Amino acid sequence: MKKILFSLLVVLMGVTYFNKVNAQSEEELVQICTMIAGDAEYLKDFRIKLDAGDPPPVQRFPILLKKDIKYRFTVCNSKDYEGKVILQLFDNNRQLATTYIVATGKDYPYIDWVCTKTGAYHLVYSFRDGKAGLAVGLLSMVGTM
Amino acid sequence: MKNLHFIYYLSLLAILSQVITACNSCSKQGVDVTQDLYVPDSVIEVAPPQVSKAVTEQMMQNISSPVETAALIKGLKIPFNKNFLASTKQAEKFNTNFEKAFALGLYGCDLGYLNMYEKTSFVVDYISTIKRLADDIQVGQFFDFNTLKRLATNNENLDSLILISQQSFNRIDNYLTETNRSMLSAVIVAGVWVEGAYLSSRVAQISNHPRIRETIGEQKTILSFLLALLMVYDKDPSMTKLLDNFGKIKKLYDEVKITYEIGEPEMVEENGVLTFKQTDKQIIQMDDELYQKLIVGIQELRNDLLKL
Repeated sequence: MKKILFSLLVVLMGVTYFNKVNAQSEEELVQICTMIAGDAEYLKDFRIKLDAGDPPPVQRFPILLKKDIKYRFTVCNSKDYEGKVILQLFDNNRQLATTYIVATGKDYPYIDWVCTKTGAYHLVYSFRDGKAGLAVGLLSMVGTM
Repeated sequence: MKNLHFIYYLSLLAILSQVITACNSCSKQGVDVTQDLYVPDSVIEVAPPQVSKAVTEQMMQNISSPVETAALIKGLKIPFNKNFLASTKQAEKFNTNFEKAFALGLYGCDLGYLNMYEKTSFVVDYISTIKRLADDIQVGQFFDFNTLKRLATNNENLDSLILISQQSFNRIDNYLTETNRSMLSAVIVAGVWVEGAYLSSRVAQISNHPRIRETIGEQKTILSFLLALLMVYDKDPSMTKLLDNFGKIKKLYDEVKITYEIGEPEMVEENGVLTFKQTDKQIIQMDDELYQKLIVGIQELRNDLLKL
């Protein structure tokens, strides 16, 4: 019995270690996102981790954006989860931009946003079909207009 | 039998830990984005926006960004001017953690200006000052001084210089928030805003570009969020004093009128890049006299806080 217990413990520790070694960290996702964003200057990153749910759970971040700046919003999914992240940009109550166009079913790794009004906006992240997911969103600056 | 019990409790413990870990975001269900942060389409009203503490804390990192301010100035083809920057010698005059956090933001903004203009010869002096201030408030470990110094000294990979500077400040902000010192984060943001507004005001004295006039005027919007953030900590005597310092400029900004024309965003896809172009317009109304008063007011505020 002791041998069985010991074997069980070794297997459990092995699985935990394996998961830790192979799991994609948020820091790695930030690095990947930075590369996808290309020449745009990094401003801030957002970490998104959501469970599965119906309606799809969301994580939101209020931000201030400035007039005459072209921003780039990049998203990166963790390979360890099924969920594909979607970003929606809102002002008070209107959706202004998104990384997922429902009409075409097309997903974009990044979108650019030309801001013409200095003020508060909301970044709303969710995972398609309410699946569980881990992702990073990146805010960067392409340049001035 | 005892062994079976042991396995049972072990399994129970494993399941329980999984449930606790998985429940980190259980409360993040679908929400109405208009609930926590209402931003009026017209900010003619003098009252600062009603924003919850949680929202302001999340937002503080974006209230003022050294990179955006410097990019806007550089975008107007305004040449670099070292005289606009705060002398690093002034850093010795900041004594308390509160003052040092303010100075950290102020010099951080200057670092953004230097990085944007690729003036690496001055960068080492500023990152040394920032590192000292960061060490004094126990956040020096998040400021990647050695990498920044190497990049600046060797004049290599200037994009990385901006990236690492910005990430260092973000990590400082995260750490201060995690360790319940978010007031210092707010003070750093105040320092960034004051210096950014000051740089814009100096540019306003040498350029008639309408965009710089608008930049000075639109600070009303940013200042209202900054003050809402600082007000969260108004019970602290140092914060009360800082808020008093902002009193005069706030009063001047109350006279600036900002209205908006709302339009529908346009979506264009070019070479696989999807771009959304906002068509809203912001209209800033202020006469020349008020404009000049704002320039002077911003410069007085910054020089007072810099102890000049």
